[in-house]
Amino acid sequence: MLARVRSWWRALTRQSRLEEEMAAEMDSHMERYAADLAARGVEPGEARRRARVEFGSVPAAAEECREAVGLRWPDEFIRDLRYAARVLRKSPTFTGAAVATLALCIGANTALFSVVDAVLLRPLPYPQPERLFSVARHFQGKGSNAYQTNLWGAAWEGVRDHASYVDAAVFSDGSMGVNFAAGGRVEYVKQQRVSAGFFRVLGIAPLIGREFSADEDRQGGPAVAVLSYALWKRVFRADPSIVGQAVTLRGEPHTVAGVLPAHFQSSVPADLWTPLRPSREGEGGGSNYAVVARLRSGATWAQANTQLEALGAPLLREFGQDPSTEHLRLISFQRGMSEYVRQPLLILWAAVGLVLVIGCVNIAGLLLARAAGRTREMATRMALGSGRAALIRQMLAESVVLGLCGGAAGAVLGWLGVKALKALMPASLNVWQAVELDWRALAATACASIAAGILFGLYPALAASRLEIRAALGEAGRAVAGGRNPWPRRLLVASEVALGVVLLVGAGLLIRTFAHLQGLDPGFDAKNIITAQLSLQDARYATNQRVNQLFDKSLTRICELPGVDSAAVALSLPYERALNTGFKRLDGPHPDTESQITNMFYITPEFFRVLRMPLLRGRVFTAADSRTTAEVAVVSEAFVKMYMRGDDPVGRHLGDDGDRREIVGVVGDIQQKSGWGDGAPTAAMPDIYIPATQVDDKFIPLVHTFFSPNWIVRTAGSPEGIIAGMQRAIQAVDPQLPFAGFHNMEDVRYRSLAQERFQAVLLGALAGLALLLAAVGIYGLIANSVAERTRELGIRLALGATVSQAMRAVALPGVALALAGVMVSSVLAGFASQLLRHLIWGVRPGDPLTFAVVGIGLLGVAAAASFLPALRVTRLNPAETLRQE
Amino acid sequence: MNKPVDILQGTLDMLILKAVSLGPLHGYGILLRIQQISKEALQIPQGSLYPALYRLEHRGWIAEWGASENKRKAKYYSLTGAGRRQLKSERKEWKRLAIAITDVLTAKPEGV
Repeated sequence: MLARVRSWWRALTRQSRLEEEMAAEMDSHMERYAADLAARGVEPGEARRRARVEFGSVPAAAEECREAVGLRWPDEFIRDLRYAARVLRKSPTFTGAAVATLALCIGANTALFSVVDAVLLRPLPYPQPERLFSVARHFQGKGSNAYQTNLWGAAWEGVRDHASYVDAAVFSDGSMGVNFAAGGRVEYVKQQRVSAGFFRVLGIAPLIGREFSADEDRQGGPAVAVLSYALWKRVFRADPSIVGQAVTLRGEPHTVAGVLPAHFQSSVPADLWTPLRPSREGEGGGSNYAVVARLRSGATWAQANTQLEALGAPLLREFGQDPSTEHLRLISFQRGMSEYVRQPLLILWAAVGLVLVIGCVNIAGLLLARAAGRTREMATRMALGSGRAALIRQMLAESVVLGLCGGAAGAVLGWLGVKALKALMPASLNVWQAVELDWRALAATACASIAAGILFGLYPALAASRLEIRAALGEAGRAVAGGRNPWPRRLLVASEVALGVVLLVGAGLLIRTFAHLQGLDPGFDAKNIITAQLSLQDARYATNQRVNQLFDKSLTRICELPGVDSAAVALSLPYERALNTGFKRLDGPHPDTESQITNMFYITPEFFRVLRMPLLRGRVFTAADSRTTAEVAVVSEAFVKMYMRGDDPVGRHLGDDGDRREIVGVVGDIQQKSGWGDGAPTAAMPDIYIPATQVDDKFIPLVHTFFSPNWIVRTAGSPEGIIAGMQRAIQAVDPQLPFAGFHNMEDVRYRSLAQERFQAVLLGALAGLALLLAAVGIYGLIANSVAERTRELGIRLALGATVSQAMRAVALPGVALALAGVMVSSVLAGFASQLLRHLIWGVRPGDPLTFAVVGIGLLGVAAAASFLPALRVTRLNPAETLRQE
Repeated sequence: MNKPVDILQGTLDMLILKAVSLGPLHGYGILLRIQQISKEALQIPQGSLYPALYRLEHRGWIAEWGASENKRKAKYYSLTGAGRRQLKSERKEWKRLAIAITDVLTAKPEGV
C-alpha cells in the first residue's frame, strides 16, 4: 500500500521525469532488439524498422504505463474540468442562474463568516490564547444553562489566593470616558481599569516602561497610568521620556508607568489603563469585576477547573447565591468575553447556512431538469463505452466548476456584504479584531463552494447516470405524458419551501420584536433634544457641593443660549442602562427587611420638564429641594406597580443604610435598557429619582466611576445649532472639562436597538433570499413541466379541454408542493422558534400571527410562481404542437 | 518449433516475476529470458511488457535495481520481498489450477 502511494506520488510530482524514463526505456528496448536482429544478418535499416513495428504503438504503451501507476485520475480530472467549462458556456441561462444563486448564498455566508470568525473563532491576539480563561459563573438549573463573567470582590480574592493552577488578574470589563489633560490639551479619553498583573496574564509586555505594581493597585496607592500606543503617539509624539512623568487624569496628576505595544487590544476599546484597586466594598460589593486567568505551565484545565469549582461553592453561598444551581467555572477567555453575542451570532450563522442549503437544493433541481434534456447525450456516451463512474465524475466536475464560479462571485458579494454588515453592526460585535474579508474568510468560501458543488451535484449525477441506454436512445424526448419520474425534483422543491418557512418564521419573529421595541411608548418627547456627556470621575468633583456648582453654573449659561428652551442634568439617559441600587420600603403595608432592586437617577429639577414626562401624582422637584431640606424622591409608575401596588406612594418613605427619603411624586415611565429583571433591550423600568443636591458625598465618586452625567437640552428649533454654544458654556465654567460626543435623542434610541436591528435586518434579508429561491424553484419546476408536457397539453386542448383546465393541471402541483412544505415545516419552525426565545420580546415563539402570515404569504408566492409559467399554456396552438416531432 | 502461444494477462505478471527472480534484468532482457526458457514457445507482445512492468513496480513487487549496463538508459528490475511472496503464492495457484485442468482433461468415462 505504502509502495503504491509512494509510486503514485512520485509519478504525480515528477511527471516529466517519468515520461523521460519511460521513453528512454522503450527506445533502448527497440535499439537492443534492432541490434539483435542485425546480428542475425538483417540489414540495419530494416532491423530498426522491424523493431519499431513489432513493438507497436509507443504512445499507447506509455498511456497504459501511466494508467498503471495511477496517473490517469488527475489527467482525466483536468480534462473533465475543461469539458465542464465548455458545456456550461454553451448554456448561459442555466449557468447564469446557478452562478447567481450560488453567488448570493455564498456571499451571504462569506460576509457572516467574517463576523463570526472575528468574534468567536479567530484566536485572541495574545500569546498562547488557548491557555487563557475567564472565571465565569455557570447557571445551571431548570431549562437554564448560561454563563456570566461578572464577579464580586470576595470571589476575586478567593481566586487570587486559592486558585493555584492559574495566574489570574481582575479588571473592569468596560471603559469609561475620563478627562485627560497633558501637553496643553484637554481630551475625553476611554479608560479601562485593570489590576496589577493584567498585562502579564494576557502575555503582553509594555513597549516601554512597566505595568502596575501590587502597591499601585491598592486603595490609596500611587496614582499611575499606562498609555495605549495610539494615545502616546497622538499626544506625546511617541516621546519615550514620557515614562515617569505626570499627566493630569481625572483632575489629578498620574505618573505614566508605561506604554503598550501598537498591536495590543484589550477586551474593550481603551486609550489608557489605570489600576483597578479591587476591594470587597463599594463596586466590589456587587458583581462588577471580570477575571482573566492563564493556566500555569504544566497545569491542565481540568485541574484548575475542579479546584475553582470547589473553592467557588462557599464563596457563592456567602454572596447569597445557591451553589447547587450556580458554579464557578473556567471558560475560554474568548468565549467569556463574547458570551452575550454568541447565541445570536450562532443563530444567524445557522440561518445563513440554511440559505446556502436552499440554494444548493435549488440548483440541484435545475440540474435534474437539465439532466432530463441531456438523456440522449448521456446514453450515447454510455453506449460508446463510457463507464457510469466516468459520467458521474463528469457531471460532478460541472457542479464543482459551477461551485467555484459561484464562490468567486460570492467572494465579491461577500466583500460588499462585510461593508454593509459593519455599518449595521452593534458596537458590541467589533471588540477583538477588525471584521474584514481576510484569507480565513476566503478559505472558508472556497471550501463552501466546493462542498456546495458536490452537495447539489451528487444526487442529479447519480440519478442521471442510472439510464436504460436503449430506452433512452430510442425514446428520449418523445414521451407523451412526462414519462420521467417527477418526484425527486418535487421533493427538492417541497424541502426548499420547508426550509424557507423556518427562516421566514424566524425573521418574522425578530422583525416583530424589533417593531414592538421600536413602537414602545418612549414616555417622553424625544424631538428637539440634544444631549452631551462629560466625565465627573475627577478629583476636582469629588463632593456634592462641587458637582452641583458645576450643574448650576453650566445650566444657567446654557439656558441663556438663544434657541434653548430648557436644560437639565441627569445621571443617565432614557434608552440607556441606569444605575441599579438597593432600597427598602420603610413604611406602608409591606415594609422590607431585605433590600429590593431599582434603577436610580439623580437629576436637576428641570429634568421632567425638559423631557416632558407627565407628573401623575404629587409634585416634582424644585430649586427649594436642597442639601439642607428634607430628603425627597420621585418614583416612576413602573416602580409603583412593582413595589407599591394598591397603596398611595406619596408620603411613604424609602431608605437604605440609615437614610430616609419621602416619596413626593409619581411620574410616567420612560424606556430604558433593563440591566436586571428579564433583560429586555428596552422596557419601562422601576425608577427612583432623587435631586442632585441630595446625593451623599460618599456616593459621588462611586457613581461617577460607572456613569458620566448627561446634559439634556431642549431647543426651540433644530438642536444641532447650539452645540458650539454648549461647548463655550461649559468651558467658561471649567476649561478642563471636555464634553464627549453630542447626540440627539434619536441617535440614542437608534443605538439602543442596534443588536435587535442587526438581527432583524439580517435574518429578514436571508429569509427574503430564501423566499426568492423557493419561488424560483417552483417557477422552474412548473416551467419545465409545461415544456415537457407540451405535446400532452396539445392533445388535451385538441380533445376539448379548456385553457384554464390545462393551466390548473400544470400549475396545481406547485401549489400542492408548497402546501406540503408549509405543513411539514410549521412543526419544524415551531422548534426553531424556540431557539429564538431569548432574542424575542413582546411576541411569543409560537406567535400565530407570524406563522399565519408566513404560511399564507408563502402559498401566495407559490401560487404566483406556479401560474406564471402556466400562462404559457394560453399561447399553445394544439395543431402546431401535434405536428411537431 | 511449434507455433508460439499467446499469453494471458495475469500469467504475464507471473512470468515477469519469475524471470526477474533469476537475477536483475532490463525490459528487453526479461523478454529474451522468458522466450529462451520457454524455448521460444511463449511470445510476449512487446507493447504490453512495459505497462506490466510499471504495474508490478507500482504494486511494490519489483523495484529498480542499480545502474544500467552499457550506460544505456534502461531500467534494471529486481524482485522485492513482497514480489518473492507474490511469486510463491502465484506459483502455488498455478499448480493447483494446472492439476485441476489436467484432471478434467484426462478424466475417463467411468470416473464420471
